[in-house]
Amino acid sequence: MKTPVVEVSNVKKVYGKAGENQSYALNGVSFTIHEGEFVGIMGPSGSGKTTLLNVISTLDQATEGMVRIAGSDITKMKQGALSDFRSQKLGFIFQDFNLLENLTIYENIALPLSLQGVTSRQIGPKVQKVAETLGITAILHKNPAEVSGGQKQRCAAARALVHEPAIILGDEPTGALDSKNATSLLTAMTNLNQEHGVSIMLVTHDAYSASYCERILFIQDGEMYKEIHRQSSREDFYREILDVLADLGTTKA
Amino acid sequence: MLFKLSMSGLRSKYKDYIVLLAGLVMSISIFYMFQTLAMNKAFIEANAMIGPIQFVFYAGSVLLSIVTFFYILYANSFLLSLRQKEFGMYMTLGARKNKITRLMFMETVVIGLISLVIGIAVGVGLAQVIGSMLMKELEFNSDGYHALYLPSLIVTAIFFTALFLISAIMNTIKMLRVTVLQLVHADVQTDKIAKRGKKTVFAAILSIILLLIGYASMIFMTYLQQLGVIIALITITSGTYLLFMTFLPLIILAMKRNKKRIEKGLNAFTYAQLNFRINSLTKVLATVTMLIALSAGSITAGMSFKNNIMIMVDGADYYDVTLHNPTKAEKELLASIPFTEQKEYRYKVSDKGIYYLKDDLMNHPPRIMIRASKEDFGKTKVPDAELPTGAEIRGEKNDKHGPQMPNDWYEAMEMIQPYYVYKGERVIIADQQMYDRVQGKEGVALLGKSDQFDAHLSTWKQIDAMQKSKLKLTSDQYINTKYSNYTSFRAFSAGTVYMGFFLGIAFLAMMASCLMFKILTGASKDIHRYEMLRKIGVRRELLMKSMYKELFYVFLFPAIIGIIHVLIGMEMFSFILVHPYFRVWLPILIFLVIYAVYYFITVQLYRGIVMPRKK
Ligand SMILES: Nc1ncnc2c1ncn2[C@@H]1O[C@H](COP(=O)(O)OP(=O)(O)OP(=O)(O)O)[C@@H](O)[C@H]1O
Ligand SMILES: [Mg+2]
Repeated sequence: MKTPVVEVSNVKKVYGKAGENQSYALNGVSFTIHEGEFVGIMGPSGSGKTTLLNVISTLDQATEGMVRIAGSDITKMKQGALSDFRSQKLGFIFQDFNLLENLTIYENIALPLSLQGVTSRQIGPKVQKVAETLGITAILHKNPAEVSGGQKQRCAAARALVHEPAIILGDEPTGALDSKNATSLLTAMTNLNQEHGVSIMLVTHDAYSASYCERILFIQDGEMYKEIHRQSSREDFYREILDVLADLGTTKA
Repeated sequence: MLFKLSMSGLRSKYKDYIVLLAGLVMSISIFYMFQTLAMNKAFIEANAMIGPIQFVFYAGSVLLSIVTFFYILYANSFLLSLRQKEFGMYMTLGARKNKITRLMFMETVVIGLISLVIGIAVGVGLAQVIGSMLMKELEFNSDGYHALYLPSLIVTAIFFTALFLISAIMNTIKMLRVTVLQLVHADVQTDKIAKRGKKTVFAAILSIILLLIGYASMIFMTYLQQLGVIIALITITSGTYLLFMTFLPLIILAMKRNKKRIEKGLNAFTYAQLNFRINSLTKVLATVTMLIALSAGSITAGMSFKNNIMIMVDGADYYDVTLHNPTKAEKELLASIPFTEQKEYRYKVSDKGIYYLKDDLMNHPPRIMIRASKEDFGKTKVPDAELPTGAEIRGEKNDKHGPQMPNDWYEAMEMIQPYYVYKGERVIIADQQMYDRVQGKEGVALLGKSDQFDAHLSTWKQIDAMQKSKLKLTSDQYINTKYSNYTSFRAFSAGTVYMGFFLGIAFLAMMASCLMFKILTGASKDIHRYEMLRKIGVRRELLMKSMYKELFYVFLFPAIIGIIHVLIGMEMFSFILVHPYFRVWLPILIFLVIYAVYYFITVQLYRGIVMPRKK
């Protein structure tokens, strides 16, 4: 099939020093995301979703196991190299604090490009192109304080995308949005995924957001619990997700 | 209950409170330090070279009070901003507004009182340390200066109590005006950058005009006298504030417009930060500029008065030493000095007088001072008149005969044959024939010039002491050598030099705390920006570079304007100093080094807040 973008094998993450009461936030998680996939990570609060995302996004280090992104083993990289790796291979959308409010939307989106030394002449067209894809051309000159929450998140998506990363990582990007704005962001992401083949990994605890994904990995207590694929319509998939979540609740109790 | 809650809130922000308290303590202690000098009339008048010195201190007090006033107001609005959100939350939970306001009022006053007590204690300590350090360094002894000076203490206490009451009232009014919602979202409000129009251009032009008037009145201080000081004080202060409020944002904006520059690396962020900072800092930067001008100005003035000692001394005596018939010990001392010019004149001492050999004088004439006008000060020449044989000076008046001694030679002979060597003995110029005929003891007068008078002070001192014992003079007898001239000039200037350095240090500390305070109090707002940049993969080094660059500009502008103020302002002293600009680069260089060190410290402290090192 397609080439893998993210390979996670037997990753463990321990919090707390040896000897003290250690806790496994991740306890042997393994999975693979292929190019062009739209994968969701779900699980109850405290199950290790954010921890997993931080490990993949190189913001945190795994205690054990291996993480490969676009072919490179990130568990062996140094601080500086990790920074460069993040800026070249990854795109981020966080729940909030996504945009620098003292830069215009345009400057925010252009930032990853200028960081990589793309010349000023090439930056303009690239920003215009992603802005078009995400429908934010009209607000490019504005300051983040002057646009809505949904627009802000789409701008964040544009910034995550503009330098053509190997994968876009989102930690509850819809968490702070109302349903209308959430839908517009999710539609935009689906569009990116389907039309432009961008790989996306999305952490969420919201079943509605998750239903936009193709595949969902459920984790519980730091371990892989279940994996489901979308077969039919989004509505059916939504119901399926709710069922799994209900199961998760009962098994936990 | 509410009180307890607010105490816990206070504890959770202890870092910000430490910054706040440090800023307040600093400003109080410096104000006090200044007042220990400014209010000690007896000391100032006894030790200053400048006539209306009391007036200068009065003007300085006014300026420092204005600066302090704004500093304290700003500090307290910072205090309010620290608490706003929390107080807003209490209100949404049902706390009554007047209770909250009272709490705010109390907090402002309590913090004020705490910092007042610590500030005065620190001030006394600083005044003591700096005072005695400078006295030692300048070899200036005066028991008139007191580090613990009651009138200054009282004035400081009254001034700051009033300031804290005013700001407590202002904080209360602000709290009463805002709605709960505004309080809760207090930290979300982005600092808006005001739009600029025609008014700005007008204000920008006005600022330049004001500065020019101020500069002109400093240059023509000699004619304007005290009026000049007042005009300069008003126009330069207001001109500087206007300049920073109008020009600087325009400059940064122009820098930001350059797309090529902006879209390179992290520049977009750096300049955006800078733009934001410059706009929120205009008044602080103007204040800092004034403090730089005052500080560098005081230090430069102090140094100039110190340099002036040597200029005056060199201008009064060309030769470093005049010595008759040096002994062996004296010769040894002389050998240690790299003379650039040495003259020897033979003479014979008879009962009729002292006969100088004319040929020696004519062949190697000594240099004498040109004392025609102020411009000629320090310049020398050789006597240009013919030296007639038989001309004489000193001795009994009615006994005088022989030709008239020309003025130039009169001066030269007074120098070669100082009064203390042979007292009032007659001095006669003799040609070779006459000289050979004279029966008497031969002697030699020696003149030496080294270019490094101030590097060999201890040698001159020893030589003077030896001369006194050789000539059987008591040790407290005054002899008009260059060295004794030097010591009296130094004693005369030391008080002024001391005041210059003392004030320079005080203003420097004030400047430092002002800028550092403002930058650090704003820092916590920047934390999430740097965190986000780190997350999207900006290297630490690049972020550091951005901080250095941003703060470099913040530090640069006040330094430039401040130093221009100083350079032009030094002209003020031309009425008392011979060369006010002599070696002016030295104090400026020292100042710049201190300023640069302080810039690095600020960047490091800022980095510590926005980008804490992990592990
Ligand atoms: N820095 C840390 N130190 C110690 N324990 C931590 C740390 N971060 C997370 N944990 C623990 O690790 C576990 C997983 O946390 P994580 O944040 O990944 O959960 P999550 O799935 O993202 O939850 P949520 O849906 O609430 O965001 C939790 O039990 C949490 O308490
Ligand atoms: Mg989480």
